[in-house]
Amino acid sequence: MASSISTTVPTPQQAAGLTQDESTQKTQTLQVAKRLEKFKTTIFTQMSSLAIKHGAINLGQGFPNFDGPDFVKEAAIQAIRDGKNQYARGYGVPDLNSAVAERFKKDTGLVVDPEKEITVTSGCTEAIAATMLGLINPGDEVILFAPFYDSYEATLSMAGAEIKCVTLRPPDFSIPIDELKSVVSKNTRAILINTPHNPTGKMFNRDELNAIASLCIENDVLVFSDEVYEKLAFEMDHISIASLPGMYERTVTMNSLGKTFSLTGWKIGWAIAPPHLTWGIRQAHSFLTFATSTPMQFAAATAIRAPDSYYEELRRDYMAKKNILIEGLKSVGFTVFSSSGTYFVVVDHTPFGKENDVAFCEYLIKEVGVVAIPTSVFYLNPEEGKNLVRFTFCKDEETLKSAVDRMKKKLLKK
Amino acid sequence: MEEKLSSVAKTLTPSPIQQLSFLAQRCDAINLAEGFPDFPAPLHIKNAAVSAINSDFNQYRHVEGICDHVARKMKEMQKLDVDPLTDIVICCGQSEAFAATIFAIVEQGDEVILFDPSYETYETCIRLAGGVPVYVDLDPPNWTLNLDKLKKSFTTKTKAVVLNSPHNPTGKVFSKDELEIIAGACQTWNILAVTDEVYEHITFDKESHISLASLPEMQKRTIVTSSLSKTFSVTGWRIGWAIAPAWIASAIRNIHIKITDSAPAPFQEAALTALRSPHAYFDSLRRDYELKRDFVVDMLEKVGFKMQFKPKGSFFVFAPLPGSCTLSDVEFVEELIKQAGVVAVAGCGFFHTSLSAEDSSQAALGYQRKYIRFAFCKSEDTLAAASKKISGLVDDGRGMK
Repeated sequence: MASSISTTVPTPQQAAGLTQDESTQKTQTLQVAKRLEKFKTTIFTQMSSLAIKHGAINLGQGFPNFDGPDFVKEAAIQAIRDGKNQYARGYGVPDLNSAVAERFKKDTGLVVDPEKEITVTSGCTEAIAATMLGLINPGDEVILFAPFYDSYEATLSMAGAEIKCVTLRPPDFSIPIDELKSVVSKNTRAILINTPHNPTGKMFNRDELNAIASLCIENDVLVFSDEVYEKLAFEMDHISIASLPGMYERTVTMNSLGKTFSLTGWKIGWAIAPPHLTWGIRQAHSFLTFATSTPMQFAAATAIRAPDSYYEELRRDYMAKKNILIEGLKSVGFTVFSSSGTYFVVVDHTPFGKENDVAFCEYLIKEVGVVAIPTSVFYLNPEEGKNLVRFTFCKDEETLKSAVDRMKKKLLKK
Repeated sequence: MEEKLSSVAKTLTPSPIQQLSFLAQRCDAINLAEGFPDFPAPLHIKNAAVSAINSDFNQYRHVEGICDHVARKMKEMQKLDVDPLTDIVICCGQSEAFAATIFAIVEQGDEVILFDPSYETYETCIRLAGGVPVYVDLDPPNWTLNLDKLKKSFTTKTKAVVLNSPHNPTGKVFSKDELEIIAGACQTWNILAVTDEVYEHITFDKESHISLASLPEMQKRTIVTSSLSKTFSVTGWRIGWAIAPAWIASAIRNIHIKITDSAPAPFQEAALTALRSPHAYFDSLRRDYELKRDFVVDMLEKVGFKMQFKPKGSFFVFAPLPGSCTLSDVEFVEELIKQAGVVAVAGCGFFHTSLSAEDSSQAALGYQRKYIRFAFCKSEDTLAAASKKISGLVDDGRGMK
């Protein structure tokens, strides 16, 4: 992948003088934007290919191998049949915006205007991209907590941000407040938080959120909060930072349908923010994808209005799966770090004597037949993640049990 | 807190087309403004989507079959050999394919040539990526490409040219000669070309769509973007693609993954059915739209528009206001809503060049405020109703002021 760029284009005379090969090469090296240095093929794709080749059980990629609820699928089908197949209003089908606002009020107590403060996007991934591009200028400082979901770094670099990283460390992955204080300054534009947290499953508690909030208010900093896993909160209640005093006016709260309703391929997400921030998000969104899949939006409105019993059952099911996996991982010999939320858990693989996380994952696929994700990809400095790998439990119980069995049989401690 | 917006975001304004839609809704007007059908999508494709949802194609996926079909169609229609494994990127609509392409190739300060008039989104994508849009006017009344104007627009900073053909808003289909001129310029100046070919299957009067990428030496420097939306009347499904040499496609793919990660899964599945549609489907699409074009052109001529240039493709008519009309395009559109209950789009939103002092005679300044875009991607009933209402204006003696 060419990454060096010259900004001079040959004059017509020079161009005419180049040979065919030289011309092609020049085209290749000249034309690709600098920002692409951050955009390599993802580790997920690589691991998935390897997994298929070896017939491994995939506990790497974060999507379920079971499907979403029938009532939501039927709503989408009905929408297609009812002819809801043309462009939706750019910032969201009105009914979905309303449903999101209703849900947000129920969950946080905050009352937001669905017309002015909610933007529907193609998944939370696009909400993140639109937020970065709409609200960040080249050179702005943005603080990230490592390990982080890989699109954050990529989209921040697309926006030209200066990234400052604060690392969360095992066993608790708690926020190092003093370190954060030393990094936040009047130059900080935004802090990006993800709670419940991918990959560690950590949930930011009230004290931590209050500390972040004080720093933000003091230094006039924005918060971008990725809350896609908020319905998969097991050990404690999820708290939206936007609900803390003084915080709504400076927070973008992002979420999606996919994880909560096991429909990750539908790409329905949203960003909730006060009007002055929503403006920027909407502008970027309208030029990134213009509009979001129409029939799925109608179905999403139905989904989000599901009764509390749906969400309770979701949590119960996932807790059962989590127990199967965690008990299994512990019994096999991993050091397991407690995960309070999401459907991920990170473990220390070093008892098995491999030199780093990537090597361990390759060994796990080839010799044991199970996929995990090496967490070094989630850090700015990969060295910091080399002892950890991430497993997911968004799989049916049979699959989880089979994976645990394989590990019990074939995973050998050094 | 306005200072928290990025500088680019601050310069953006809401889509004029969307604003008009709101006015139309409030007046309950017939909407010939927005470019999407008011008739149902083809049943066989909707059924495919329903079937996909029921068969649990609902998680993140990449449906490689789409690439196979897109490659096959490029071979069939444009005689191009495209490798489905490496040269095609599936995105959330042509919108995202275009945005990802621009982010892949445009660096801060890079100039990108656009033909005026043009669809409003291209410029903003380019500016979001730090690029500088440079406009080359197409000459009315037939929107011909002027070689001198094109030559003058190149500088050492030019990185790419954007070509939309068949063209929104004019309905022009760039001719082979014009494509050769553009291709020649791309090679001389060693720049890339990004095409928007969403109306590729909607051409009239036996006119064929020719992809710029099919011209000699152009495939290696062209990114073709297109989608299901217009061909299959599913603008709300968000399935599109970019076709490019592998080294660019790879970059576009990696960016797409960070912007949205995946296009909606069930609709990717349905795309397989859509792209396998028999030739008869495409023939009847073309025929139906040609009839609609004729109807609308006829309707406009009856009320006083002089339709010197008829669209050869897309589903838009770009009609010049009659010479006798003293209104500007915006004023006309408002009057049309209020008096006839029909909405169209004022052409000024598609023009970007401000003419220099030297050529600012009244007439020259005038034309950019004198065009109205009508969409005819509407059912026969809608078009008939619009025709009745517009003709009513003439009958009442008010006519075109």
